[in-house]
Amino acid sequence: MTEIKKWLHKLTFSNKSIAPLVVFRILFGIMMFLSTLRFILNGWVYDLYIQPSYFFTYLGFDWVKPFDLYGISLLFGLLLLSTLFIALGFFYRISSIVFFICFTYIELIDKTNYLNHYYFISLVSFLLMFLPANKACSLDTYLGFTSKQEKVQAWSINILKFQMAVVYIFAGLSKLNYDWLIEAQPLRNWLKHQTDLPLIGDLMQYEFTAYLFSWAGALFDLFIVFILINNRFRIYGYAMVIIFHGLTAVMFPIGVFPYVMIVSTLIFFSTDFHKNIVAWIQGRISLKSKNTNKGQINSPILPKRSTGIILSIYISIQLLLPLRYLAYPGDLFWTEQGYRFSWRVMLIEKAGYAQFFIHHPENGMKKRIDNKEYLTPQQEKMMSTQPDMILQFAHHLRDEYSDTVIVEANGVEINIKEPKVTAEVYVSLFNKGSRLFIDPEVNLSKINRGFHHKDWILKNEK
Amino acid sequence: MDENAVNYDADAEVADNATCTYEPFEKTQMLTNICDNYIIPAYTNFNEKNIALSNSASGFSSNPTVDAFEALKQTWKDALLSWQQVCFLDFGPAAFVILNNQVNIYPVGTDKINNNINLGVYNLDLADNNDAKGFQALDYLLHQPGMTDEDHVTYFMSNANAMTYLTDVIDNINYWSNYILTEWTGSYKDSFKSNSTSESNAQGSSISNLVNGLCYHYESIIRKGKVGLPLGAFNGFSQQEMPDRVECYYHQESLPFLVESINAMNKYINGASYNTGENGLGLDNYMDHVGATQNSNSLSSVINSQIDEIIEKVGQLNDPLSNEIIVNKPAVNEAYSALQQLVPYMKADMMSALGVIVTYQDNDGD
Repeated sequence: MTEIKKWLHKLTFSNKSIAPLVVFRILFGIMMFLSTLRFILNGWVYDLYIQPSYFFTYLGFDWVKPFDLYGISLLFGLLLLSTLFIALGFFYRISSIVFFICFTYIELIDKTNYLNHYYFISLVSFLLMFLPANKACSLDTYLGFTSKQEKVQAWSINILKFQMAVVYIFAGLSKLNYDWLIEAQPLRNWLKHQTDLPLIGDLMQYEFTAYLFSWAGALFDLFIVFILINNRFRIYGYAMVIIFHGLTAVMFPIGVFPYVMIVSTLIFFSTDFHKNIVAWIQGRISLKSKNTNKGQINSPILPKRSTGIILSIYISIQLLLPLRYLAYPGDLFWTEQGYRFSWRVMLIEKAGYAQFFIHHPENGMKKRIDNKEYLTPQQEKMMSTQPDMILQFAHHLRDEYSDTVIVEANGVEINIKEPKVTAEVYVSLFNKGSRLFIDPEVNLSKINRGFHHKDWILKNEK
Repeated sequence: MDENAVNYDADAEVADNATCTYEPFEKTQMLTNICDNYIIPAYTNFNEKNIALSNSASGFSSNPTVDAFEALKQTWKDALLSWQQVCFLDFGPAAFVILNNQVNIYPVGTDKINNNINLGVYNLDLADNNDAKGFQALDYLLHQPGMTDEDHVTYFMSNANAMTYLTDVIDNINYWSNYILTEWTGSYKDSFKSNSTSESNAQGSSISNLVNGLCYHYESIIRKGKVGLPLGAFNGFSQQEMPDRVECYYHQESLPFLVESINAMNKYINGASYNTGENGLGLDNYMDHVGATQNSNSLSSVINSQIDEIIEKVGQLNDPLSNEIIVNKPAVNEAYSALQQLVPYMKADMMSALGVIVTYQDNDGD
């Protein structure tokens, strides 16, 4: 065995206290409960899943539908219930599966609502399905549904640390670009709207502040994990976590994401820290469990070899997916090919305006489409700057007009078989001015969806 | 304030090499300027013009002469022009009651008007009567096809119901102009000036309200409503002209109202004083402050020159617009293109520059 192999083996299979995993489970459950409740109370279930008449599904997931009001309410009801059950460790395995399925299903309905932090939650809940996080300090062990366990294999904690590291480090790497570092974009623009902030508002008008925030943000993302795994500097690192995420929470409308990160990074703290929390919780709950079924690590379901293979597959996917943009030509921020699922957070300021046309089959006449008839303002906004969504909407229009006979107000009858759909789209990146985004002549109804390069996106003429 | 200015000077030297100039920008100062020097005076004028309209209507109804009728028509025109100066303040109290639908919806429902007059019983507060009231109902009542001024005087003298309807419609407009002014001079003014401290310029902040209202009204009511629809630009594939969709179809004069709305919008964007035209802090300064550019020109100057181009192209058209779109369609098309080009400048460039967000949902900037 080489040193590296030994090290990996230790990281994966050594026995560790279950305490960090248990604390993570409880805090995750509580955060998700609050986050789901907030979502429901804000009325977003209706706004996002009932009101729209069209949904931008993900490629391969076109079968995902929001159902009706009852269907989606049921999904959210199950979601909310499962968060509580996860926190309590009650029917944990089932609850974590229900949470993962409901949450991911809801996120897959419409890519308009894609947020990196939703993707993060999907991944974490995916992992939680396989982790023995209910083996202590849970209703499951109290009621005797499962055996108690003081130790777990190290991978079940380290995979969560790995996931956190992926988020931060890729977010940091994605900031290492010309716009962020040299032009301090988009913060240069965004900070100028913040001059009303208490205490630090006055600083926001200076260019220096934008550079400070950009560089500090990049350094924070790149190195915070290394600080957090260090016993001596951890406490300072955590103070930085609170300051960094606290600032973003005050300045930008990013919802619960900062709080999720503040809570999740506790996973990096020492075993003793987590044991104290568990002891504190158990001290509050004076009930004595009747369950005496106390064991060593249960004989693992999977042999070590399989565990190792499955973990390396997961890890490889996580490391490669954010790099897939390298396979596409052109400016990533302009084309957004390979942009999602890559931890690119608050990186670009982009706005667009899209006018679609349906062409008359014979003569050159074309009908202007009013996007508002099909899309909500948020959908229209997201669609106008993202080529895959532009294409999807064009296909939706194609399907709406295929094989239709339209009688115009002046009595003219138009027989459409396969409509030609074009779009005049203007996009402005980093407030440099809107310019033509895609080839206005290309018939979008004939272009296939897919992961191949979209050569109908025009160059970003700087 | 002075202390800040001193601090600012010291730091400004550090940032001297910067590409943009750095003057401190106070959003509340801009909002205060726009509110005190444009919005309130413009709504005050709107209300005054409507009071004048109401007065001339009482004059006409107590003494129905041709002179009184002509005076009535003139005050109607003045009041409608004053509406063009406030129509794009389409947020806050105006958006709450959908003021545009209360006072200036067209095409006007002439059958509904005649029906109401014949019945003598109607409720102008019903949404169903929106197209039977407002300035466009007056457009029809005061300019009925084939009737001279004398004919109109005779019509109103001989038809008490029509006279009552005329004054009821004017009273209704008056109610709304008074309502909106009261709302603004009351509580809304202060919340407008101060409500800019929420996260960035998220929805619900004054700047977001102002910009969203402006962009929506320009795109839908001015560009589309005043020119695009009658031109047929939105009429399916055949794009058949719809001349009866023009504003003030019966008056046969639409362009002064279009020009007034564009000119007023120009003043408003540039933070100019309603009364004196003197330049103050406006959206243009805000755009400059964040360094927004369009093809390496400042976005504010691009928007201003686009507005100039609109005025120039519209200036080449002749009233009645309903006729012009048939006989001189290429020129109207050009004017429409100029109007259209302003939409991406406002909806994409300006909204993005000012950090305006369209919805309440969370956002992580991608």
